[in-house]
Amino acid sequence: MSHNVKILPGATVCEDCTLEGDITIGGGTVIHPRVTIIAEGGPIIIAEYCIIEEYSTIIHKKSDKQENPPKPLFIGAHNVFEVGCKLESPCGHIGESNVFECRSFVGVDVKIGSGCVIGAACRLTAPQTLADNTVIWGSEHHVREALEKQPSQLLQLDFLSKVMPNYHRLRKPNVHKRQPSTRQSQESSPKP
Amino acid sequence: MAYLTQPDYVKYICSCGQLKPITSLYFCRHCLKIRCGFCICHEVDSHYCANCLENMPSSEARLKKNRCSSCFDCPSCFHTLSTRATMAQPRQVVQDPAAGGDTKVESKQPKKMYYLSCFNCRWTSRDVGIPDQPVASGGWPERTNPHAARVNQLLDYYKAIALQEKQEKIERERKKFNIRGKYITLTDKTGLTGAMARNIAGLPSSESSSSAIASFVPSQATEEVEELPEDIFTKEVNLNQITSMPQRLASPEWQPSSVSRLHPLAKLLSVKRSQRCRACDHNLTKPEYNPGSIKFKIELLAYYHVPEVKIISHEPVKPGGKSALLLKLTNPTGHEMQLRLLQPEDIPPPEEKEEPKSIEKSLERSLNLEKDTTSLKPIEVTCEQPATSRVSAPDVTLTLAQRDDAAEYDDDAQHDTNDIIMWRKSNKLALRLEVVTDEGAEGGAPAVAKVALQYSYRNTVPPAAAAATPRDHTLYTTVLLDLGTVSSN
Ligand SMILES: [Zn+2]
Ligand SMILES: [Zn+2]
Ligand SMILES: [Zn+2]
Ligand SMILES: [Zn+2]
Repeated sequence: MSHNVKILPGATVCEDCTLEGDITIGGGTVIHPRVTIIAEGGPIIIAEYCIIEEYSTIIHKKSDKQENPPKPLFIGAHNVFEVGCKLESPCGHIGESNVFECRSFVGVDVKIGSGCVIGAACRLTAPQTLADNTVIWGSEHHVREALEKQPSQLLQLDFLSKVMPNYHRLRKPNVHKRQPSTRQSQESSPKP
Repeated sequence: MAYLTQPDYVKYICSCGQLKPITSLYFCRHCLKIRCGFCICHEVDSHYCANCLENMPSSEARLKKNRCSSCFDCPSCFHTLSTRATMAQPRQVVQDPAAGGDTKVESKQPKKMYYLSCFNCRWTSRDVGIPDQPVASGGWPERTNPHAARVNQLLDYYKAIALQEKQEKIERERKKFNIRGKYITLTDKTGLTGAMARNIAGLPSSESSSSAIASFVPSQATEEVEELPEDIFTKEVNLNQITSMPQRLASPEWQPSSVSRLHPLAKLLSVKRSQRCRACDHNLTKPEYNPGSIKFKIELLAYYHVPEVKIISHEPVKPGGKSALLLKLTNPTGHEMQLRLLQPEDIPPPEEKEEPKSIEKSLERSLNLEKDTTSLKPIEVTCEQPATSRVSAPDVTLTLAQRDDAAEYDDDAQHDTNDIIMWRKSNKLALRLEVVTDEGAEGGAPAVAKVALQYSYRNTVPPAAAAATPRDHTLYTTVLLDLGTVSSN
């Protein structure tokens, strides 16, 4: 197992999941067991207060036109990845407060703003950019625009971070010592 | 069970000629005939809301336009809306300080507010600016139909016309009667009929109805139509702002064209139905009244009374060739069953017997002149379904044991007997048969084999007053087997 996984204090990360490559997990984020996160094309940074549920997969794919040094995949705060969803984005940026519903699939070259919902079993494969608050649902991939962002899952996060330690082995936060330097560089880089 | 998601390989011919799988057929124990959804009466038992399971009598349902008053559907995707609670700070007080100082005294504690939200497409009542409600159920603003007055006017008008036509009909009937009989009845003298008719129809008295007809103004077609806006062809279309056709048609009163005008749709009520045999007026199914229950008080399904035929496997069907066919027969009844396979032509024609009509029934019929019962009678058709193959039926009588739920647990099937029966197990039986296909069958055409079943049936209906009716019957049914396609040699 790679040693590049940085878990910030306050994150709840189950031991029974596959984390490969350079991954940073922000405080308050909950990662359920059986999650796969693979950073093969560049680092993955997951911000605070995300929920990543069982059997979800997040892959930062290798691509030909890769920059050097590789651009990180930045996943904003308050994102929810529901059971079995899959994200294969090398596109660098995913906004905040998005919901990836069960078994949804987001392919490469899809840029996602903030407050978007990818409905259960919806597959986004064509290159596209989702504006903020876009909701996609149903087998016909209906699109509508929500007025406001999805409500945050803070209560659920609170509950999970209390309950998970009772039933699962957790990975310990490991970045207290070199936290200041690494954290700053990573979080400032995707901003521009 | 037959097959849930696969095609129906085995179809029974209903007494009306329809082809149906056994799971969608009924069996009338009084006529001893197979019935299907096309040849029975469907009756509405009760109205209920599928979401909150509230029951309501039909008069109330009509009044509420067959919609639930407390449940809503999503106007965007038609999924049921859920009520969600949020904690809201009483903000309004702060917003207008001019409105009296007293309101400020109200508790500053966060108040629970409710809004409607769809879990499927994430539409919320806030999207269209419906204010949150302080109570969880009800209180949602109701919109009035912009055409309510006109709709009511039309309703009154049509009611009046219906009444008038009814009166004219009664008048005609009476005249006919008078010509024939040439005497004045009591009702003629007292003029009771008109009032009676109005009573029966539940309508107001004739004076108001004639005035409704007189004062009615029919709609006028006009050539002047509102001009289209200037920019209709040049303005960029934002599909996210425009409603789809189904969304517009879901609220016919408003037909919103913009997404911001979608309002929650009051949920449509569902009905519990009971089914009735048209020939003998007995119930075939009757659900329990409680909307939460999925059980039936009466459940005369063919699946419980008619031997079930399933195809185990078969050889490919060739024109002019013979192929083996393995069938499984199941006896679903609690009595032993004698079974024979026949050619469909060999079914004896049903005996024509005129039902002795009871006096009560004919009296009842004479009383409601309106109801023309002849159209309700089932039409019996012998199905002339073309079949490419015929099953060479062995001339043996098979005995099928009664259903025994305990026997399900023994799993040693008896491999006995003869060249036809492959095995027997409790109330089931596997047969090895031969299918002969027509010489002229075209390759690629669907291969259908037709076979008739003769089976004994014991009627367990408690015998009516006279116990003369026989309990044991010999019944016939015809089955069509789907054997794939005819292979071209
Ligand atoms: Zn009947
Ligand atoms: Zn029928
Ligand atoms: Zn309801
Ligand atoms: Zn919806």
